[in-house]
Amino acid sequence: MTIRLKKNPVDIIFSSITAIASVSVLLLILGILYVLILESYPSIEKFGFLRFITSTDWNPVKGSFGAATNLFGTAITTVLSILIAVPVAIGIAIFVTEIAPNFLKGPIGAAIELLAAIPSIIYGMWGLFTLAPIMANYIEPALQKSIGSLPLVGVLFEGTPMGIDLLTASVILSIMIIPFTASISRDAFNLTPAVIKESAYALGATKREVVKDIVIPYSKVGVFGGVVLSLGRALGETMAVAFVLGNNHQITKSLFDAAATITVTLANEFTEADTDIYLSSLFYLALLLFVMSFIILALAKFFILKTEKGIKQ
Amino acid sequence: MTTAQVRKLKNGIALTVCTIAAFLGLFWLIFILWDVLVHGIGGLHLSLFMNDPAPPGIEGGGLRNAFVGHLIITFFATLIGVPIGILGGTFLAEYARGRKIARVISVLSDIMVSVPSIVIGTFIYAVIVKPVGHFSGWAGAVALAIIMIPVVLRTTEDMLSLVPWTLREAAFALGAPYYKVIIHVVYRAAAAGILTGILLSIARVVGETAPLLFTSFNNSFFSANMNEPVSSLTVTIFQYAMGPYSNWHSQAWAASLMITLFILVLAVLGRLLLAWRYGKRPTI
Repeated sequence: MTIRLKKNPVDIIFSSITAIASVSVLLLILGILYVLILESYPSIEKFGFLRFITSTDWNPVKGSFGAATNLFGTAITTVLSILIAVPVAIGIAIFVTEIAPNFLKGPIGAAIELLAAIPSIIYGMWGLFTLAPIMANYIEPALQKSIGSLPLVGVLFEGTPMGIDLLTASVILSIMIIPFTASISRDAFNLTPAVIKESAYALGATKREVVKDIVIPYSKVGVFGGVVLSLGRALGETMAVAFVLGNNHQITKSLFDAAATITVTLANEFTEADTDIYLSSLFYLALLLFVMSFIILALAKFFILKTEKGIKQ
Repeated sequence: MTTAQVRKLKNGIALTVCTIAAFLGLFWLIFILWDVLVHGIGGLHLSLFMNDPAPPGIEGGGLRNAFVGHLIITFFATLIGVPIGILGGTFLAEYARGRKIARVISVLSDIMVSVPSIVIGTFIYAVIVKPVGHFSGWAGAVALAIIMIPVVLRTTEDMLSLVPWTLREAAFALGAPYYKVIIHVVYRAAAAGILTGILLSIARVVGETAPLLFTSFNNSFFSANMNEPVSSLTVTIFQYAMGPYSNWHSQAWAASLMITLFILVLAVLGRLLLAWRYGKRPTI
């Protein structure tokens, strides 16, 4: 559907304006990348890449910076939140597409998506004042008593449960990303051709067998895309974790210790950076975060598009 | 047990687990909303909206500065972000329809929607705050506008694509140039959808904190001057919640309640509009 009309001068102007507006997205992405590289250049020059990401030194007084503690915090909270969220989210998607009676499908799906509308600062407030005490008083001591006495994994649950730690932050993050994973999984499940499902039911398959042997094999790439998208979201989440992580620049053994993620460090220290190299290192962190999340989100988009295309053909 | 019974049992267990998962999701939603409501309602007094903050530790005082500041920042962000988003979406759905550039920008916008908002904050700090030399409301508004653009752009593109092509052909046949067709026919047909996009994009940015931390910063005094640091509700909530005073906490909860209510109303309104007009739901 290409449009070949006699060009009206106003039309040329209007189309150029719209073209500029849409290219602004591309320019913004390139601009962000350029500015972040430019601003972090002093730090890149001083610390290099490998040294920066492997150094655990975060010392504003000595002017020596490394991102390892931040990367560690980001990786642990993200992976842990995905581990908690994905099974629940897939359960929700199965419930909404296959189990719920028709009149409940819409409302329950919409209600869970409303979780995504709640701003992250509210999650942070709730996490700090409500969830953290619950974690510190009930859940973490219980975990310590049960799994904490086991060999090997026991070390993850050592220390005094304070509620301001990696575990609480991961739980909050997992609640935040459930709607993303659930929503995309649901869309992927819905793309399964009804005829194939009906054929399986006609052969006498149970619902569980239809989901396990038909729906999930059909939609696994899409569901995976949803998981990767949630990973990208969790990676860049700031306020929800800023309240409950404590900004502690250490690599810790226990999940009951405070830590720092890239985002939390930025939120807490950006306005306090008093030296150029300090600020530059913070920009370096932002650059790392931007590049990582961009790659992860692009991958997610790739998987999601692939499912949609694959089913259409 | 026979095989059939085993299969039935497995089926029953699997279905129960999934149902529990769904109710767990609902449980979190209700838990959080209820908690915000219970804590927030105690702090809701008229003084919250009428007074500026009192010095720390002194009772009384409100968040008038933050409410007004938040409103101004969001207003200007909408003013910058929405036109760019709508025009950009128009290009993708109309002039560049079916071309490779439209696909590329569309995918890039989808990625931009999920890029960490704190990165946008650092970007604006580098390009506006640092050259100007101080934090300002404008910087905050631009940061929020950057977050809005891809959201509005993608919904506009989707909504314009839903308008039947024959409608445009009918207008072309009357001799209308393309820009007139877009403005008088396509925009009108897609008005409800575009409005939904705007509502959802406002809902998206109104709760943002991270991009405001180092752009509009905070201001304990009343200021409607966009060239100065402007107080916002979300940054104030962060500062108050982390602070030691209990009346700060109760004000932070009250502000959280107001923001949550505002966003939920917008989100529900947007959803109803989409369901009513198109029978579909927004992509999150």
